[in-house]
Amino acid sequence: MRARTQGTEEIEPLVSQTKRVSQADAASQVGRTRRTLDIMKKDKWLYFMALPGLSFFLVFHYGPMYGVAIAFKDYNIYKGVFASEWIGFENFRTLFGMSGFQRALRNTIIIATYQLLFVFPAPILLSLLINEVRNVKFKKFVQTSVYLPHFVSWVVIGGILYAILSPTTGVAKEIAMWFGHGDAVANLMASREYFRGLLITSSIWKEAGFGTVLYLATIVTIDPHLYEAAKVDGAKKWRQIWHITLPGLRTTIVILLIFNVGSFLNAGLEQVYALYNPIVYEVSEILDTYLYKLAFEEAKYDLATASGLFKSTVGLVLVLLTNVLAKKIDKDSGLI
Amino acid sequence: MGTIRRPEPGYWALNGALIALTFLTLYPFWHVLMYSISDPRQAMGGGIFLLPKGFSLDSYAMMFQNSGIFQAYGNSLFRLFVGTFLNVLLTATLAYPLSIRRFLWRTPLTLFIFFTMLFSGGMIPTYLLVNSFGLVDTLWALIVPSAISAWNFFIMKNYFQSIPVELEESANMDGATPIVTLFWIVVPVSLPVIAAVALFYGVFHWNSYFDAVLYIHSQSNEVLTVFLRSMLNFSAMESSRSIQASDSAAMANISEESVKMATIVASILPMLLIYPFLQKYYVKGVLIGSVKG
Repeated sequence: MRARTQGTEEIEPLVSQTKRVSQADAASQVGRTRRTLDIMKKDKWLYFMALPGLSFFLVFHYGPMYGVAIAFKDYNIYKGVFASEWIGFENFRTLFGMSGFQRALRNTIIIATYQLLFVFPAPILLSLLINEVRNVKFKKFVQTSVYLPHFVSWVVIGGILYAILSPTTGVAKEIAMWFGHGDAVANLMASREYFRGLLITSSIWKEAGFGTVLYLATIVTIDPHLYEAAKVDGAKKWRQIWHITLPGLRTTIVILLIFNVGSFLNAGLEQVYALYNPIVYEVSEILDTYLYKLAFEEAKYDLATASGLFKSTVGLVLVLLTNVLAKKIDKDSGLI
Repeated sequence: MGTIRRPEPGYWALNGALIALTFLTLYPFWHVLMYSISDPRQAMGGGIFLLPKGFSLDSYAMMFQNSGIFQAYGNSLFRLFVGTFLNVLLTATLAYPLSIRRFLWRTPLTLFIFFTMLFSGGMIPTYLLVNSFGLVDTLWALIVPSAISAWNFFIMKNYFQSIPVELEESANMDGATPIVTLFWIVVPVSLPVIAAVALFYGVFHWNSYFDAVLYIHSQSNEVLTVFLRSMLNFSAMESSRSIQASDSAAMANISEESVKMATIVASILPMLLIYPFLQKYYVKGVLIGSVKG
């Protein structure tokens, strides 16, 4: 041992530099790990606190992501996810060939497009109206009233619609009678022609008011000098709205649009399920209600999972695409 | 400016339009309320517009004769209180560590949570997972899988980040663990956002029903919204659990419709009672949540 030490001492001058460097490196690495461990030890309570929440996301959000494997398997309930056989894209091929799926996809796209065209702009228009009110009390009253339906379940709204539209006792009948059509009231909730219109109208009724919260808050942040300058230039109300208020709302509109596009294929499961009935399945069966039936009425879990995966993937792609587009048009907007 | 200002052009059009919209928003609620307190025999003929036809609380009395509603109400209240309590507790204990800058892997863990907002496994894998835990057909199936909403997590995290660090440091110096700091220092100064998030969760629990359709099978675990839906029975094809015809002849006259209206009113009443207090915090929460962070 002594000899060896002597030996190293002899060559010490030669290697000293590199040796010292690598030693320092190793030391700093050890130090870093130790420091990391020290920090973690010092913050052990923080990790302890975060553990339940993180496990929740791992189990209940990432767990089902593992479960999408079912979409690529010939799923057998008794075998479980593991033991069932892989069949590649067979389930998707079967699914896209099914008339029920095609109908559900078509309905989803139609209803979602209507929602994007009519339900999405409604709160913007309503905020422009509410913003023009000068009387503070009246403004508060309007806001409190139009927020209300947001707090009510779709099931309750279904019940209320049912009462209003009832062909025997509803207000719809009364109104029809004023116009002299007493006995010819159609039951809109059981009418294929009007059902989608009913979905859209009730969506607007429920959410347009509450949707104004963000837009009105954004309008408040617009610099009042801009309006004064516009007035000096002789701009009337319409031009002020068009050239100042709407551009001021652009970022908010884009962010909300991205969220809406991302949930495009959802088309409102709670709403449709609460309002529809067998008579109008033809025009209102959406992907979500269809996959529910596939799984729980026909026990076709693999097909239902494939349908759900298709929907989630399209949603993800749409969010990312819209985000990219939004950023191209306007650097400051966009979600991510 | 000293003179009386003439209304701007369009003043009447604007106010008229808003009064009309407000009326359209509120009227449906009013109609159902009036229907429910009308004399059921007269209500059957229709014609209720602004005022009830006759007056009777029979439909409410009749509603309470169905024991199912008590069960459903109780289940909904359980879901509301236990669910919201767990939601807020878990959201806060996750948001607090991730709001601290020196917390290691803060960014990747935040992204880990953010990604769940963009992509999900879908209804069936989630159902099978919940089923594998043995939660199906228990009220826990309505509470555990929605224990934290990523959206509310971000609202709370952003708010916690805006609290001055000095406040927590002084507590740390006194030897407080982060758990003590969270509950004695951070939570008391974050009450507005905690109230808002609690309301988000509370409204969600009270109103949502599809998860109950999915996970609950036995009548004893039914929640109010599902009870109401099976009672309303739009299609008149699935008459499974609608109000049973009473044996008493007098009761048989009472229209089923009136009982439905009474049940609708009963199911929104708690919400309407706390609505004036709730709305302010709810709006505040939406605004805090909208701040990009």
